[in-house]
Amino acid sequence: MLATGCAQAGATEQGQQVHQLFVVITLIAAPVFVIVELLLLYYVFKYRKRDGDDEAAPQQEGSTRSLVVFFLIPTIIVATVYGFGEVTLASVQKQDPNPQVEIRVEGFQWEWTFYYLNEGFFTTGKTLVKPAEMVLPVDTPIHFQLVSRDVIHSFFVPAFLFKRDVIPGRTNEFTITPTTLGTYQAQCAEFCGLHHAQMTFSVQVVTYPDYLNWVKAQRKAAQNVTCPVTGSAITVTAKDTAWNTNCLAVPAGSPISLTVVNQDAGIDHNFAIYDSSQRKQRFFQTGRFSGVATNSYQLAALPPGKYYFQCDVHGPSMSGTFIVAKPGAP
Amino acid sequence: MSAVSAGVEPRRKGRVMEWVTTTDHKKIGIMYLFSSFSFFIIGGIFALLIRIELASPGTQILQPHLYNQIFTLHGTLMIFLFIFPVLNGFGNYFVPLQIGALDMAFPRINALSFWLLPAGGLTILSGFVAKGGAAAAGWTSYVPLARQLGTGEDLWILGLLIVGTSSILGAINFIVTILRLRAPGLSMMRLPIFVWSVLATSLLTILAVPVFTAGILMLFADRNLGTYFFDPSRGGNVLLWQNVFWFFGHPEVYMLILGAWGIVSEIIPVFSGKPLFGYRGVVLSFLMITALSFTVWAHHMFATGSVELPFFSATTEMISIPTGVLFFNWLATLHKGKIRLEVPMLFALGFIAMFLIGGIDGVWTASPAVDFALTDTYWVVSHIHYVLFGGTVFGVTAGIYYWFPKMTGRMLSKTLGLWHFWVMLIGFNLAFFPMHLLGLKGMPRRIADYPATAGWTLLNRISTVGAFTIAAALTVFLVNVVTTMRKPRTATDDPWGGNSLEWATSSPPPVHNFDRLPPIRSNRPVYDLRAAAAVAPVAAPAAPARGGDAG
Repeated sequence: MLATGCAQAGATEQGQQVHQLFVVITLIAAPVFVIVELLLLYYVFKYRKRDGDDEAAPQQEGSTRSLVVFFLIPTIIVATVYGFGEVTLASVQKQDPNPQVEIRVEGFQWEWTFYYLNEGFFTTGKTLVKPAEMVLPVDTPIHFQLVSRDVIHSFFVPAFLFKRDVIPGRTNEFTITPTTLGTYQAQCAEFCGLHHAQMTFSVQVVTYPDYLNWVKAQRKAAQNVTCPVTGSAITVTAKDTAWNTNCLAVPAGSPISLTVVNQDAGIDHNFAIYDSSQRKQRFFQTGRFSGVATNSYQLAALPPGKYYFQCDVHGPSMSGTFIVAKPGAP
Repeated sequence: MSAVSAGVEPRRKGRVMEWVTTTDHKKIGIMYLFSSFSFFIIGGIFALLIRIELASPGTQILQPHLYNQIFTLHGTLMIFLFIFPVLNGFGNYFVPLQIGALDMAFPRINALSFWLLPAGGLTILSGFVAKGGAAAAGWTSYVPLARQLGTGEDLWILGLLIVGTSSILGAINFIVTILRLRAPGLSMMRLPIFVWSVLATSLLTILAVPVFTAGILMLFADRNLGTYFFDPSRGGNVLLWQNVFWFFGHPEVYMLILGAWGIVSEIIPVFSGKPLFGYRGVVLSFLMITALSFTVWAHHMFATGSVELPFFSATTEMISIPTGVLFFNWLATLHKGKIRLEVPMLFALGFIAMFLIGGIDGVWTASPAVDFALTDTYWVVSHIHYVLFGGTVFGVTAGIYYWFPKMTGRMLSKTLGLWHFWVMLIGFNLAFFPMHLLGLKGMPRRIADYPATAGWTLLNRISTVGAFTIAAALTVFLVNVVTTMRKPRTATDDPWGGNSLEWATSSPPPVHNFDRLPPIRSNRPVYDLRAAAAVAPVAAPAAPARGGDAG
């Protein structure tokens, strides 16, 4: 227990402080442990009743003075531990007022979506298919907001020596500053049902230039999704909490007839169209319905352009690009 | 009918009916112990299934949905239907004896408290045949997850309502018994320390369990009646559940350990040949812990971000002060004693050595900044098992070896007892120490699977080996009990040289407990009796016989 002491030193500024506190508590607790266990063994050997020894033991019942001493010793110990703990706590709880990077983390059964709020894109995982990936610049304070779509989850990065619960109806916030380059495995730490164990993600800490390149690539990828127009009647299928496509295209100028197939027994889905993943404007939204079921809808024609669609129950992990193509375009 | 009952002797009840209809606290106590150990075996089999599943990455024998049910019911059965009732079993049998009473204050309510237990336990277990399976939200049953699950969750709520009712009735019975039925001369400060522990436990029970009952009723209403206490989308609050649950749940932890402290504090003085050192300090510590345990609940919620961290960290650190005092008193009792290493004493010493680890590893998590790293990992699983297994189960086992001759008139085999102790001590540490390290490596609790690349496999394997080693130790224990029960009753009234009144009657005691009571002039009346006999070999003058029925 002592040798591995809070395993790693912590890959963030805050994690390093937590590690130091762990070591301090260990230095206080370990002697208590060793002394009490050794005293116990020593007494058992020293005062063991030998054969033929019929003398009675001294019948001490303990004085008030011993009682006071017995209360005093642990009081001093825990007051010391408490003092160290408070100093570290105040430090790791500090939030950065002007963070360069702000990430909104959405937990849902059973994956994660990370919205990079200042950069305007998101990354997401697909349950049992692909864990979410988060990329962070090193030595930069990063502010997190945690929200849940369904039940309680917990955002836990072991290498950061930190976790915070992700709670429906509440936004939790904290700031951390990664200090060590590397890729770290992370996962949900609050039991959240069937596939809790698979609710993993990875955190990659990279240099600032690498981070900027990654952001550029993500933005480009988000804009470059395209698909051919097949007609004004489209079908989209939800299965295993995923759409069968990440791109739908319809011609401009004609009403759209949409069929939504939900093949997930007992799971609610819907289908909604927005201006972008920021969801500032909504153009269309079906009601939620549970699978297995199929529903059809009629939509008025939309102006040409690129839109964003998602299932509102599952968010960006079930999303894609909705293209309304100008007449004559392929 | 009247003609029959007139002159004819009433037909003697069959043996089964005798147990089913009994209101004798000793029979009820034994039924408590029997029922508890049955649930312990079921919960233990669940534990072995969990350990098999986690021995390797990938799915071994339990699909995730079944795994979630198994770990949920492992925790639920162990806490509500094994540990708490097993301590109640000792309380039922020995509180009336230790205070020189004929029975509990309300014998029929006592029988009711017992019979509610198997009813509640079976209700919870019946979830396995319900649609959607048994409860699978963990023994803490956090919302909103607990609102999503099937009928098993409702059966879990119903079962715990029944078990909670049993606990409340039992606690009221203990409090009245201890306050009103003590023998002449047995003042509160002469109470055997085990009786104090039962009194403290009972106070906690009547203050905490009704809160839990209210919580699970709200959960039931949310699930079935369209209320939304815990639904944030309609004005409810999911953290309300955690506050209510842990307001009960932390006192509950002390309800699960105080009785074991009481047992160990009885045994150590007897086998050291000394009085309990600092009796007043131990009583004071029990009462301080009882009070403080209602102020620490939110330390289970540090990571929710909704807790006044410095306050709950401070109260949590404070509760370790009276706990530390207990350790000092136990060590001081051993100091300069004449220590006899009989099996009950070994388990009591094992208790001190192991519970110390469970006490100390709680100090890290009492500090919120460290708790952010460790909570909800296997560190916490290790901590709770060092407290409840290394602590309570070792203490309870000490109690069984200690009181078995009193309850049955038979001495358990010392040889098998030694095997039981050493195999269990080794198995226990193999099973649970590696979990500290897994927690430090970041393995979350309650996961049905982990990747081979995580580096957790070896430690999990060791833990699984340890779990089966514990199972082997318990098999030795069962063999010991079964073979001993086939032997004749040879135990004397006082085989260990005990201190408290149960050793002043026959083994097993008669239905009315005592033919006569010795005079009570200290908290060790039976020791006083022996000491007097040693000084004046002529038989000490007998106290007046108690009541007409004793003659």
